[in-house]
Amino acid sequence: MITNLVFFAFITGFLSGAVIIAAIFWAKDMGLQMNWWKWLLSAIWYFMLLLLLFAAFTFIGEGEPAAGWRTVGISLFVMLVLGTGLYKLLQKDSGGTGH
Amino acid sequence: MKKKSIKEESSCSRREFIKIGGAVAAGLQVGAVAGAGLAAGKDPSTHTGWQHLGDNTQFVDRTKLVREGPAYEIVGETLRPARQESAFGRQGLIMRDMWQYREMIQSFNAGEERQQGMGNRQSVTERETAPEVTGGVRPPGEASDFPPVEAFTEPMLSYYKARPDLYELDKVRIEEIMPKKRQDHKNYGEYYTLINAWSDSWSTHERISEPPEESDYKIGPRQRIGDPKPFKSPAHASRLIKKVAHHFGATMVGITTIEPDWCYNYDLRGSENRETYEVPKHWKYVIAFGVPHQWEQVNSNPNSGTSFDAYSRSSIAARRLETFIKSLGYPARRHSPMDGYDLIAVPYLVKSGLGEQGRHGIVITPETGSNFRAAFVTTNLEMEIDQPIDFGVKEFCEHCQICAEICPSGSISKDKSNEGMNTRGYRHWEINQTSCYNFWMQSMGGMGCRLCLIACPYSRKSNWVHSLARKLDTNDPSGLVDNGLTMMQKKLFDAPEAQEYLPPPDGRFANYRQPPEWLQVKNYLDIEVSDPTIGE
Repeated sequence: MITNLVFFAFITGFLSGAVIIAAIFWAKDMGLQMNWWKWLLSAIWYFMLLLLLFAAFTFIGEGEPAAGWRTVGISLFVMLVLGTGLYKLLQKDSGGTGH
Repeated sequence: MKKKSIKEESSCSRREFIKIGGAVAAGLQVGAVAGAGLAAGKDPSTHTGWQHLGDNTQFVDRTKLVREGPAYEIVGETLRPARQESAFGRQGLIMRDMWQYREMIQSFNAGEERQQGMGNRQSVTERETAPEVTGGVRPPGEASDFPPVEAFTEPMLSYYKARPDLYELDKVRIEEIMPKKRQDHKNYGEYYTLINAWSDSWSTHERISEPPEESDYKIGPRQRIGDPKPFKSPAHASRLIKKVAHHFGATMVGITTIEPDWCYNYDLRGSENRETYEVPKHWKYVIAFGVPHQWEQVNSNPNSGTSFDAYSRSSIAARRLETFIKSLGYPARRHSPMDGYDLIAVPYLVKSGLGEQGRHGIVITPETGSNFRAAFVTTNLEMEIDQPIDFGVKEFCEHCQICAEICPSGSISKDKSNEGMNTRGYRHWEINQTSCYNFWMQSMGGMGCRLCLIACPYSRKSNWVHSLARKLDTNDPSGLVDNGLTMMQKKLFDAPEAQEYLPPPDGRFANYRQPPEWLQVKNYLDIEVSDPTIGE
């Protein structure tokens, strides 16, 4: 169990690093003027997305597929709405959309 | 210039590579989280299981939950429970009076036949009850009928006069439900072969055959207990008893003092006196503990589950603990599902701080919700006692109602609160025990129901998502988490409607969830079965 956890932490840590580096480039190329609170909000949004999917698949794993898939659907919808709002916020004070 | 362009192109492609790589990594991370979620959901260590010594046993620090005041609010004259108040307790009284009624009808029939010259021999009973002897009038009805209220003797006569609603429910059970149940068994019994075998295997037991003054002071049938070994302090005794009870199989343990009102007022085990008795002086403390059901089968209630797995385990733990205490020189008596109780379970669980009584009448613990079965040991070993706890069950149950909505017999109240309820002087949620029992008698598999136990939101698995929900709920005084969790359970988690759990034709013998594959006959046995769950 511990071995699995360490392996999982290593993989997700590595992937998180890649996501963070890529996010910096994406932000620059999209012309977003990022500051600390924009990064914080983006990180919270991404963490919430992962957490909700984690919860949904936990339901599926425990033998509640209906609850799991409903959670996936609701989560994606909510995160899409929040993501749209967040994107508008990120564009605030930004010059343009870059490429 | 050309060099610069190549450099820019190379930089651009590296940049694109990092960006695409990051997007792929995000996708992989979503996949990894989904996989981890699946693993967390399936993880058997999150079953609220038996003899698990990990972090899903006794993981709640109850000192933060202790509340002021007594276990129950007293709202009237407090009384000890009489035999006829319990649907199980009065079964014996009903049978006794039914038997007499049948004998009387048969003897009247025989008397009439004799008067018509169709026979002249009398049985012993007939000689005492025949109409020509008693001068009685033939009662209405047939020998197989449930007797009219007037045909019952005390205490059932007075009880039924006071509770005609329960008379009707008992009548329905005897005249309609039981014959239907026999027919259902004939039609579908083999479909439930494995769950019946599983249930029976847990239900082996032995009885206490001597009164407390004898049996509580003996280890086995002959060996007297020795001199009591002194403990360093009551706190040390309490700590040790909880630790060993845990090792003996108890998931949760609490200690409290005896309350005579909560000791049955009849049938003291091992005593020849079948009626009222003085609570033995050496029953000073009550060690209360709980053991959860096997996870996979408890979800397949009411028709493919059983109570006997947790019954057996809690009973075995009680026997072990009783012997342990006796071995230290203190009298002890177990009270458990397989060996019988001389005390009422629920109030002692509340008083010892194991949990709170819910709308469904049973206790909800912070660890396993309602998914557990209780056993007790009474003793005079002086121990530090626990206090009742409050982790928000009262408020939660007032608006949840999931158990009441799913109950196939409608036995659980849908009232807003338990205000005005008075059970022998104490205020708490009441259920209609008799209509509940009537549904038990209709269900298949290991008999009983247990739907309220498993549908309770507190009874969900002990994985991170439900543990987090329980923790948030316990620490939220606003009630927002309560409302959110109840809504989520109702909207997200599917369950058959109450009616569907009934036998055909009204229902379809539904289960809350499918039984595990190892309890499905079709997977292992080469026998013909008729599946009632798919309907006609």
